[in-house]
Amino acid sequence: MEQLYTRRLNRYVTAMRNEKPDCVPIRPFVAEFTAKYAGYTIQEVTFDLEKALAAARKCAVDFDWDAVVPNMVHVWAGLTEAVGLRYYAYPGIQLAPDTCFQYIEPPEDKAFMKPDEYDQLIEDPTGYLFNVWLGRVCGDVNAKGQPTSYRNNMSFLKGGMAMMSCFNALAKQNELLRTECGTVSAISGILKAPLDIITDKLRGYLGMCTDLYERPDKVLAACEAFMPHLLYMALSGADGEKNVPIAIWMHRGCVPFVSHQHFDKIYWPTLKPIVEQIWAKGHQVLFYAEGKWAAHLQAFAELPERSIIFHVDQDDIFEVHKVLGHKFCISGGIPNFLLSYGTPEQVRSYCKKVIDTVARDGGYIMDASAIMQDDTSVENLRAMTEFTREYGVY
Amino acid sequence: MNEQIKQDRKPGVCIPWEEKLKELPEISGNRQLIRQTWEDTDALGYIYVWYCLLAW
Repeated sequence: MEQLYTRRLNRYVTAMRNEKPDCVPIRPFVAEFTAKYAGYTIQEVTFDLEKALAAARKCAVDFDWDAVVPNMVHVWAGLTEAVGLRYYAYPGIQLAPDTCFQYIEPPEDKAFMKPDEYDQLIEDPTGYLFNVWLGRVCGDVNAKGQPTSYRNNMSFLKGGMAMMSCFNALAKQNELLRTECGTVSAISGILKAPLDIITDKLRGYLGMCTDLYERPDKVLAACEAFMPHLLYMALSGADGEKNVPIAIWMHRGCVPFVSHQHFDKIYWPTLKPIVEQIWAKGHQVLFYAEGKWAAHLQAFAELPERSIIFHVDQDDIFEVHKVLGHKFCISGGIPNFLLSYGTPEQVRSYCKKVIDTVARDGGYIMDASAIMQDDTSVENLRAMTEFTREYGVY
Repeated sequence: MNEQIKQDRKPGVCIPWEEKLKELPEISGNRQLIRQTWEDTDALGYIYVWYCLLAW
C-alpha cells in the first residue's frame, strides 16, 4: 500500500509542478457523491462525521484515484450546530434529508457587519470577529456588553471541543487514506481572498456592491487588514512536507460580480501578495476558480511560475491552457452536467479531448469542473476514471 | 478594550503575552517556557474564530 501511495504522490506532485508524470493524475473533488456511492443519505454524511469519512474512504478504495479531499462535505453539522451558526440550512431540518446543505446569505439590511463598522474591523480584525461578528452569526453568543449566559458559554466550549474533534478526525483520515487506500490527501490549509471573505461572511454580496461605490477606501483598507491574518491561517494548516497545495476557494471576485476596476484595485492587489508569500515559503496554492475567471487570466499569469495550480470550472479549459499552461498546472474542466446527465461515451470523448490538448505535455490533473454532489452518475465517474487510466499514459 | 491590546493583536494572537505577563507575579522559573505555553494555547483561540470565518 505504501508503494501505491508513493507512486500516486509522485504522480500528483509532478503534475502540480507542471511537469510530466508517468500518467495523468486523477484527483476528483467528490462531495455528496460519496454518500450516494457508499449508501448513506446526505443528512447522514452532513451530521455524522464518521460516516462522511468512511464514505470518502470507500470511494478512495473502490476507484483508482491518486488524491482526494478527506471530506469534501466540509460542513459538519455537529460543529456548526454546536457553535449555533445561523447561516446554514441542513438536510433533515430546513431541507429534505437528501438535499445538500445550503449557505443562506442574509438580506442587505441584516448583513452580519454594518456599513459603519469598517474602522472597527480594520483596527482589530480578530477583536471584531470575537466581539461583534460571532454574536451575530452564532445564535447562542451574546453581544458584547450583554450579560453572559449558559448558552453563550456552552457555545464556545462545545464549539472549541467540536473543532478539535474535527481536526483530530481529519488527521486520522489522512493516515487511513494513506495506509488503507494508498490515496493522497489532496489539499492542506485554507485560504480565501480578502474581498471574498468580506462579501461572503460580513457584508453580503449586495452590501459589498454598495460599499465598493460608496466607501471603496474602507473596503480596500479592510482587505489589507485581513491579509496578514489570511497568510497566517493558510500557513498554519499547510502541508509540512510541502507536497500538497493550500486551496483557495474563489467565489465572487471576478467580472461580472465585480468590475474590472474593483478587481484590479482591490481584489487582486490584496490576494496576489499572499500567494507570493506562500510560494516564497515553498507552498503551492490551488486556485479553485469557481465560475468564470477568463477576464483575469492575464493577472494570474503574473504569478511566479509553478506557484499555483489553476482549477477550471466554467471557463473554456482550452483557452485557459493557452494563457496559463506554460506556467502552471491546470486541473478540472470536465463539465459536471456531462458527468451527471451525459453518457459514458460522451464523458470518454470529452476526457480524450482534454488529455490530447491540455494534458499533452504534462501539467494537468483530471477532475470535474466543480465539486461532485449526488447528481453525479457513478457510471460516468467510473468512465472518467478508467478512460484516464487507459488513455492518459505518457 | 484599551489601545495597547488593539495594537498588539497580531496574527495568531488573542491575548498578547505582554498583557498576560502584567497579571503574573514575578517569574522565578523559565520565563520562555511559560511564554511559549501561553502563546501556543492562545493561538488555538485565534484559530477557532478565524476558522469559523474561513471554513464554516
